[in-house]
Amino acid sequence: MSVNNTNIWELAEAYLAGSMSKEEQVALHQRLNADAAFAREFQEISNLIRSVSDSGKHKRFRSMLHNVHQSQTAAVPAKKARHIILTPEFWRTTSIAAGVAILTSTLTFWSLKPSLNKTEKRYNTISREVTGLKIAQAKQLEKQKQLEIDLDKSKKPAPPPSDVKKTGTGFALTNNGYFVTAYHVIHDENGYGDSVYIQNREGQYFKASLVTFNAESDVAIMKVDKAGFRFGKSELPFTFTGLKADLGTHIFTLGYPADEIAYSEGYISGRNGFEGNIMQYTLELPVGHGQSGSPLLDGKGNVVGLLTAKGAENEVKTYAVSAKAITDLLHKLPDEKNIKLPKASKIGRMPREQQIDKLEAYTFAVKVYKK
Amino acid sequence: MQSPLNTEQQLLAALADGQRVATEQIYRQNYHIVSGWLIKNGGSSTDAADLFQEAMVVLFGKAQEEDFRLTCSIGTYLFAISKHLWYKKLQRQSREPVALHDNTGDEDEDGGLAYEDDVNAHTERETHYEQLDAALEQIGEPCRSLLKAYYHKDKSMQEIAAEFGYTNPDNAKTQKYKCLARLRKIFYAGLE
Repeated sequence: MSVNNTNIWELAEAYLAGSMSKEEQVALHQRLNADAAFAREFQEISNLIRSVSDSGKHKRFRSMLHNVHQSQTAAVPAKKARHIILTPEFWRTTSIAAGVAILTSTLTFWSLKPSLNKTEKRYNTISREVTGLKIAQAKQLEKQKQLEIDLDKSKKPAPPPSDVKKTGTGFALTNNGYFVTAYHVIHDENGYGDSVYIQNREGQYFKASLVTFNAESDVAIMKVDKAGFRFGKSELPFTFTGLKADLGTHIFTLGYPADEIAYSEGYISGRNGFEGNIMQYTLELPVGHGQSGSPLLDGKGNVVGLLTAKGAENEVKTYAVSAKAITDLLHKLPDEKNIKLPKASKIGRMPREQQIDKLEAYTFAVKVYKK
Repeated sequence: MQSPLNTEQQLLAALADGQRVATEQIYRQNYHIVSGWLIKNGGSSTDAADLFQEAMVVLFGKAQEEDFRLTCSIGTYLFAISKHLWYKKLQRQSREPVALHDNTGDEDEDGGLAYEDDVNAHTERETHYEQLDAALEQIGEPCRSLLKAYYHKDKSMQEIAAEFGYTNPDNAKTQKYKCLARLRKIFYAGLE
């Protein structure tokens, strides 16, 4: 290779690759020292080649990482607890669901309940879908014959399993652990999650079990498993109203659209809900995914409903199930399981900031886990 | 089956070289630590996968440096980098200052700053690569595919000559230099 006659790109490439002979290197350095314009160009060209080739190296590394992640998370052996081997029909639905999850954005969860199929874009449940391992799962399912789900029902206090599938919000019915959330948070077209935990404002997790539900009204009543559990120091500060709230009532809500609790306020804009559903209200209230199951309160501290869904992405329309759906469900329980709802609101006369402060302990994130 | 790489230096050298065995080993030993921490702090498993992979890329980038030295174990490094990346992300999302240190107290001030430098270098590098990619998208065919085949997919000039219909590798190579010249023009024009 003659340093003076060779293409500058080829020179730079050979130089970077370290494939030049001693003589060639000496000749190159001589020319670089003698010719400043050549040196500048050589420098720029070398930098470019190095960048392009490093960028390629990074790309290959990233794609390998992705691959390693998939194979490693797929290879995690299930704990030796109880296993349910899913039937082939089930994997098919999960892989279809995984496909759907890839297509939709991470934070958007279109309700796929059969009755809502045609109108799903105008009526979006506001739980937060966590797509997580679904992509990996879809790939893995092609290869793997058995998918084992670990249903760990031991009584030991265990940290939550690692794969949050969905998050919503819940609020207390009694101070000793009964609470309510939206049914679609804990059950969707893939069935129930393996476990449901609540996470309070201190970040502590508590496992919870389903007590009863009404899929049609989208209400689920659950209870924290831990014996002696208390949401707060005192009994619930709010009460539930069985009466239909008036049009124009100012309302507010607290919920967990992300890991921080969020407050928003608005008003009842429709006496009935989606497509005239009389068990619901239509609200002008900005909410985010993850706020399904949030309490809807009027200014006096009465729970008037539970948030379930919102309208099309560009609307502020939100839908809530009326509190009556919750009390109706409670009345159906045998002996009402000694659930005594508070009779009076203790926060009726407080300014909003104090109301929120009192409510925070009784409002929490609901996290659904599934392997 | 290959035996595990014994020392951290060997492991890092193999990682810098892009070897899968090393990558897998580091992944296996450290992923659950980072993901456990993140999930405890309110992240999801998707966040954990993204975060850990980003931290691995930071380590990979650092391992490429000639005077590369790690003053702590790979595990400590990955964990610290992950935390920095996560707090940075939270900061970006909230547009408010977030304390860059949590109270786990396992990194001293100097160590924290060193990690921050590495994260910043990583961010700069990524921006640079993005600019390059943007320029690459503009150079037109067959240049774009040819350069991608050589630099991104690591194909040989023989393979490229066959794939793109050049009579021999030397012709393909001449074409590659022309393409690089074009990339240079667009890339530096874009930076001005």
